[in-house]
Amino acid sequence: MNKACVLIIEGTNCEEEMKIALTQVGIEAEIVHLKQLTGDVPKEKARKLSDYEILMLPGGWSAGDYVRAGAIFAARIKSKLMPDVKEFVDNGYMVGGICNGFQILTELGLLPAFEGIPDQPDAALTNNQNTKFQCRPSYLRHENKCAFTEKIKPGQVLQVPVAHGEGRLTFGENDKKMLAELVENKQIVFRYCRPDGSFAKGVFPWNPNGSLSDIAGICNPEGNVLGMMPHPERVMEKIQNADWTRTSPQGSGDGRIFFESIAEYVKKR
Amino acid sequence: MDEYYRKITDKVSEIRITEAKDADLDRIRKERSLGLSLEELNKIVAYFKKEQRYPTDVELEALAQSWSEHCCYKTSRPILERTVLNTDTPKDLCIVSEDAAVVDFDKEHGYVVALESHNHPSALDPYGGAATGIGGILRDVVCMGGQPIALIDPIFFGPLDYPEEKLPPGTKHPKYLFRGVVSGIADYGNRVGIPTVSGLVEFDESYVGNCLVNVGCIGFMRKDKVARSIAGNVGDVYIVAGGKTGRDGIHGVTFASAELGEKSESDIPAVQLGYAIMKEPLMHACLEVNEKGLLTGMKDFGGGGLSCVSAEMAYSGGKGATVYLDKVPLKQDNMAPWEIWVSESQERMMLSVKPENAEKVLAIFDYWDVPAAIVGIVDDSKRIKAVYKGATVLDLDLEFLIKGVRYERPYTVKELKEKDIEHKMPDLSEAILKVLNSPRVGSRESVIRRYDHEVRGNTILKPMQGVIGKQSHGDAAVIKPLQDSYRGLAITCAVNPKYCKIDAYWGAMNAMDETIRNLVAVNSRPHTVADCLNYANPEKPERLGELVRACDALQEAANAFCTPFVSGNVSLYNEGALGPAAPTPTILGVGILKDVRKAVSSDLKKEGNLLYLVGETKKELAGSEYYNTMGYAGGYVPKADVKKTKEHMEQLLYAMDHGLVKSCHDLSEGGLVAAAAEMAFGGDMGLALDLAPIKDLRTDHKLFSESNGRWLIEVEPKDREKIEKALPGAKKIGRILKEKQIKIRDAATEIALPLDVLRERWETAVEKEK
Repeated sequence: MNKACVLIIEGTNCEEEMKIALTQVGIEAEIVHLKQLTGDVPKEKARKLSDYEILMLPGGWSAGDYVRAGAIFAARIKSKLMPDVKEFVDNGYMVGGICNGFQILTELGLLPAFEGIPDQPDAALTNNQNTKFQCRPSYLRHENKCAFTEKIKPGQVLQVPVAHGEGRLTFGENDKKMLAELVENKQIVFRYCRPDGSFAKGVFPWNPNGSLSDIAGICNPEGNVLGMMPHPERVMEKIQNADWTRTSPQGSGDGRIFFESIAEYVKKR
Repeated sequence: MDEYYRKITDKVSEIRITEAKDADLDRIRKERSLGLSLEELNKIVAYFKKEQRYPTDVELEALAQSWSEHCCYKTSRPILERTVLNTDTPKDLCIVSEDAAVVDFDKEHGYVVALESHNHPSALDPYGGAATGIGGILRDVVCMGGQPIALIDPIFFGPLDYPEEKLPPGTKHPKYLFRGVVSGIADYGNRVGIPTVSGLVEFDESYVGNCLVNVGCIGFMRKDKVARSIAGNVGDVYIVAGGKTGRDGIHGVTFASAELGEKSESDIPAVQLGYAIMKEPLMHACLEVNEKGLLTGMKDFGGGGLSCVSAEMAYSGGKGATVYLDKVPLKQDNMAPWEIWVSESQERMMLSVKPENAEKVLAIFDYWDVPAAIVGIVDDSKRIKAVYKGATVLDLDLEFLIKGVRYERPYTVKELKEKDIEHKMPDLSEAILKVLNSPRVGSRESVIRRYDHEVRGNTILKPMQGVIGKQSHGDAAVIKPLQDSYRGLAITCAVNPKYCKIDAYWGAMNAMDETIRNLVAVNSRPHTVADCLNYANPEKPERLGELVRACDALQEAANAFCTPFVSGNVSLYNEGALGPAAPTPTILGVGILKDVRKAVSSDLKKEGNLLYLVGETKKELAGSEYYNTMGYAGGYVPKADVKKTKEHMEQLLYAMDHGLVKSCHDLSEGGLVAAAAEMAFGGDMGLALDLAPIKDLRTDHKLFSESNGRWLIEVEPKDREKIEKALPGAKKIGRILKEKQIKIRDAATEIALPLDVLRERWETAVEKEK
């Protein structure tokens, strides 16, 4: 079985449902504390990143996120694990970040990583436009395929919830230039949209945070690192989608195809 | 004053109260903010005369904590024992009830229920008070061995537009309190990763001087893993785990057991400081220690701090204990022993552990980076002792400390005097718009969206339901706690302070009736309830009478619905400069769904479907949002016929199980028209109501009556016969329209209002989400 490392520190809090989601599509998932990868634990608890094929950074409030979201987790990875992570990425293994995980990957420079991994991050996920934490269903349009979206059709619309206070992707004064680069490199994986798939065009609540060009998720140019704000692991079953009582309780939730894509990609590799 | 104090060791004095005159005793208790009455202090004098020694300051402080209303329920206990703890309901559901209750879920699993108030701290520091309220309730669940799976937050404030100039000195504006409390709940609840799935936001003038912040938590666990809050083995060690002990939260319980006033701000040290990122790993570590069977007892540090937790665990185990104060990890190193003993610093747990397992337990906490230390040992002395730098600074008989005081205070019951009122029928369209725009009826979206209500991925019915982007209020949330089973828990809470102010008994009856209605509305069978009884100063007979009458009603309703009270909390002295807060018996209800896939939501589903009204509508409008917004006073308060509600509940559950009910909403604030509008908002569909089947009432009363025991349900035309058989009393009063309008007809009266106009009023009543 293919193995996934679900990486946590204190304050990470979406690891259980992430593990369940991966397990449901046939991936062996282990919740691993960062300490276990950096050797700061007794021998029997120590793990190596190279033992895994998938690294998933789940959502939460790592170390409380009292400074910029994801900054502390990223700083700890940088100080003790960065060479391993770089090697992992360079070898083409999958690295996924959901919500806080996306914030961490951005902070690490693993995203958007236009030309390799920079020392300083190019992008940031900053405060939602309306300054408020948002927990609500959102619609995502699949824009470009990456390792994580093998099975999702181009243009396919998924209903996936968001729950974050800092989800607005920005490149600051470089917005225009970097956006063009993202488009050029086909790095935009998901955009927020309306239920019919038409663009949200920044309009609340379809774009819940005011993110640049409605971006909800991006990948690196190679397509093996993905970050996204919405939580596909929360909608594996139909009854987890917010409006299931209007249709039927039977069937898959809209997030399952995301995890099935991961399983398919990792098996093919 | 110093003449009574004598230093016996570093930072510890003995106080010669046995030699003090009453006037001096009075000074001592006030100077130290002990919160003890003179009578109580004299009881303590008698105890130490018998012991033939003087008490230390540590001992006096310990007694003050344990004898506070907050800790020992000295006033409320006898009332509760007669009423809510003495119901004729299934006795075998509840496995154990300590800091929280563990209740049967299925063969292997139990769910955990806890409900508390955090009123006074939140009135001073809304952000911090609300946050630590959540912290405390989480620990209550964790110390039973339960994994918290849901939070519930009923909160109560003065009107948001309350004139600044009318605020009494020292009182904070309702808007400031409201925003602070919601942010505190969001920032703490979201950080610890437990979904906030249910709650209440109420507004009433009586909360201006004393807002209420209640907090509930549901947990889940294997029944064979229940941890008890006792220290029952001689030789076991006490381990303190979690946050360090500091000067925050000193005298929290004595502060909570007095009225709020102009000078309350100076009690700010009584408010604890929360730290969610200590709590999150602390929960993991405690549950791991319990899962591995390494502990013999576990209890959270709540009111009264180390003093209460170490004494109560030993007392419950029929044992005694010695605690070494210099072993307790401290935030500030110059703390006096009495401060260490009573500090209510947050994020702390006490474990009793067999000595041979202590190292393993400490290693688990170390792995999670949570400080932990051995601080004491259990013995068979039936006394609690504290040692500081080699000197015994506290040595008290546990029975005296814990069971020392209990009161049967006098109370009076206010007779309900009601009188019908006459008024001209107003413009109905205008009245409807007004009621939907009332903050008590309008959308709570701006609060609900601040809380992560689906972290952990188990929330099947969410607090907002319906078409995405158009969602409306649901009645209860549904959680599916197990991966391999569709069995679920419905969670809700209810109380209406307007009725409680008019009549304590009928107000409490309504709270129970509405809780049950909410649970039934989502197709769950009501299972258990918990109460958070927020009342005013019990030393005033009329105030205490309100609590007594409410408890009578709760007992009666629990019997009628077969729902035992498994957990609860009493918060007294909710009074400020403007008088008492409305009597507020918050009820938390838990229902069970055999299959969450049969859950029913509140949003209208399909054009052409029929609407039926279940339950009887009477001219019961006292305290209604119609009367409140129109400025009418008087009339009859809703009087729940709980037997009738139970009968309809059974019929409705039968109909739901047979798939006959497509949507359902309970009728509460704003009456029929508010319920119908909310269902229409969620479904983004119009509806036509024909009120003729409701007899003998004027149109406005039909629309706005807040009679209890009612639901509005949606039924497909093909199921008409079946539903009329299943629910013989239900009245067909409407159908769903394609056009987005709400049309109302009653004989010659006809009105029509566009849905988007109504929605705009409803969405902007509190704060529009944009």
